[in-house]
Amino acid sequence: MNRLGRGAIMMCLGVVLGRLLWTGGFGWFVQQRMRWPLILATVVLLILGGIECVRAVNEERDAPDKAARSVAPSIGWMLILPLVVLLSVAPTGLGAAAADRVDAYVPTEQNNPFEPLPESGLVEMRVFDFLDRAVWDKERSLEGREVRLEGLVVNDPDIPDGFRLTRFSVSCCAADGIPLQVALRDTGAPLKNDTWVIADVVWLPPAVPYTETEGEWVIEAEVRALQIAPAGVPNDPYESPY
Amino acid sequence: MPSTEDGTPVLEHAHDHDHAHADHLHDHDHDHHDHGSGRFALGPWSLLLPIFAALLLRNRIGWFEGETVRLWSTLFVSVCVQAVPFLVLGVVISGLIAAFVSPDLVERLVPKRPVFAVPSAGLAGMALPGCECGSVPIAGRLVSAGTPPAAALTFLLAAPAINPVVLISTAVAFPGEGRLVLARFLASLIAAMAVGSWWARRNDESLLAQLRHEHEREGSRWSEFIDVAARDLVHAGGYLVLGAMAAATLQLIVPRSALDVVADNELLSVLMFAGLAILLSICSEADAFVAAGLPQFSLTSRLVFLVVGPVIDLKLVAMHAGVFGRRFAAIFAPVTLLVAVISAVVIGQVLL
Repeated sequence: MNRLGRGAIMMCLGVVLGRLLWTGGFGWFVQQRMRWPLILATVVLLILGGIECVRAVNEERDAPDKAARSVAPSIGWMLILPLVVLLSVAPTGLGAAAADRVDAYVPTEQNNPFEPLPESGLVEMRVFDFLDRAVWDKERSLEGREVRLEGLVVNDPDIPDGFRLTRFSVSCCAADGIPLQVALRDTGAPLKNDTWVIADVVWLPPAVPYTETEGEWVIEAEVRALQIAPAGVPNDPYESPY
Repeated sequence: MPSTEDGTPVLEHAHDHDHAHADHLHDHDHDHHDHGSGRFALGPWSLLLPIFAALLLRNRIGWFEGETVRLWSTLFVSVCVQAVPFLVLGVVISGLIAAFVSPDLVERLVPKRPVFAVPSAGLAGMALPGCECGSVPIAGRLVSAGTPPAAALTFLLAAPAINPVVLISTAVAFPGEGRLVLARFLASLIAAMAVGSWWARRNDESLLAQLRHEHEREGSRWSEFIDVAARDLVHAGGYLVLGAMAAATLQLIVPRSALDVVADNELLSVLMFAGLAILLSICSEADAFVAAGLPQFSLTSRLVFLVVGPVIDLKLVAMHAGVFGRRFAAIFAPVTLLVAVISAVVIGQVLL
């Protein structure tokens, strides 16, 4: 890899990251809090790549034999692959396919008492908080409350009258994603996998609390749908465990 | 010879660089291909070929629409995007080391005897926030700058495991399990120092030969900085991409859910978590959340996951092989794995 190649591949990488940042598409791959580190990295890549390209052009003019020599190992060409994959496959983040491969989130023990919910009306909630509350709240504050959740559709033959409303918890990048799932019943007309929806739901408390079932816990928070509206992809497609 | 004093060092001295310079820290196998083959060397314009191919293929071929391909791509791109800021931080530091840290300075700063050098290098690891991708080029440059390899390797293993960012995310992932955070810190630090001490005894310079080129600085310090940072970035980055491909593939092959079978057997679950840590190649800032999501396993076996993951996994083996050499990686990886597992199990027994 000669100097011009080295500069060009760094510029390429910088442009790819810059574009992901500009369109917000980076949110499909990493947590939102990576925005600033990514912006800084992009700036460094563009500057380094730019300087290298200018140096290479000067070298080409002043000492062509030097310009042709290798200044980095060929493995560096691999850095073009993320761009190739982004262009050809255009991946769009974690969805039903990923949810089928990884065990859903089981809430770790939470401290009681929970923050009280607003007195009345619809409560908007992260799927994370909904699950924690459904499983660990001794006061059962969710009972009878109308809750608004946002997530995508994952169909499951075990839930013929609905689907699993799914949101992913991602702490760094999509490779560590864990599905947060709620079994949504009475949803009406079937929806396609990976459709984003905003669902107004009511919790269906289990006969025996999840944490007191015999043997292994079976935690599947069930809810009944009141209203389901298709939604666009949210700005931040993932929830953060922080 | 011209030097920094004139304000425009970078462009001015680009042509002063010579080969000895560029030869520093890199893989000779690869270089031989590039060398002397002016005609066949890939020029920057060949970058356009794969891009055009990708655009042509887009939407043409059914299998690009397949769920598995899309998921693989998501995982692959995420690992790369996540790693780039840490890699950039790493190569900026490695560039600064190459440009501004002379062997004399290293000699004054790093204690001579491994008994002191290894623990201080381990604790120095606390100062580098981030995950493992950044510490590989830094450790490579530290060796080139004259740091005893035992100390540089201790730093390499300790930095991604015991820095504050990683410890805080572990505490967040395991609320109320303060002892697990302590256990992670101790087990990782001990493992790093044990590997460092092992290297100090072994002291096989030949394995790290590719890092030990006599190196004369030419051009200004800033020109040197840019040159080294660019070189390390492209070098380590290439191996990172390779490792990300392997990690994405194995994440698809090894589902995280088919593991309940071994939950009751402590020995099997320890082995399984060591294997998972290697195959999944999850960032050290994120692994605690994955471990927290598998509550059916004992804390000790999950501690193994948290201690092994930051020191050895697929993408790290690829990067070690690239930066330090293949023979080095072939010896270093199994020793590190063994030491990390033992350290985690012992600390787990004592503390958890």
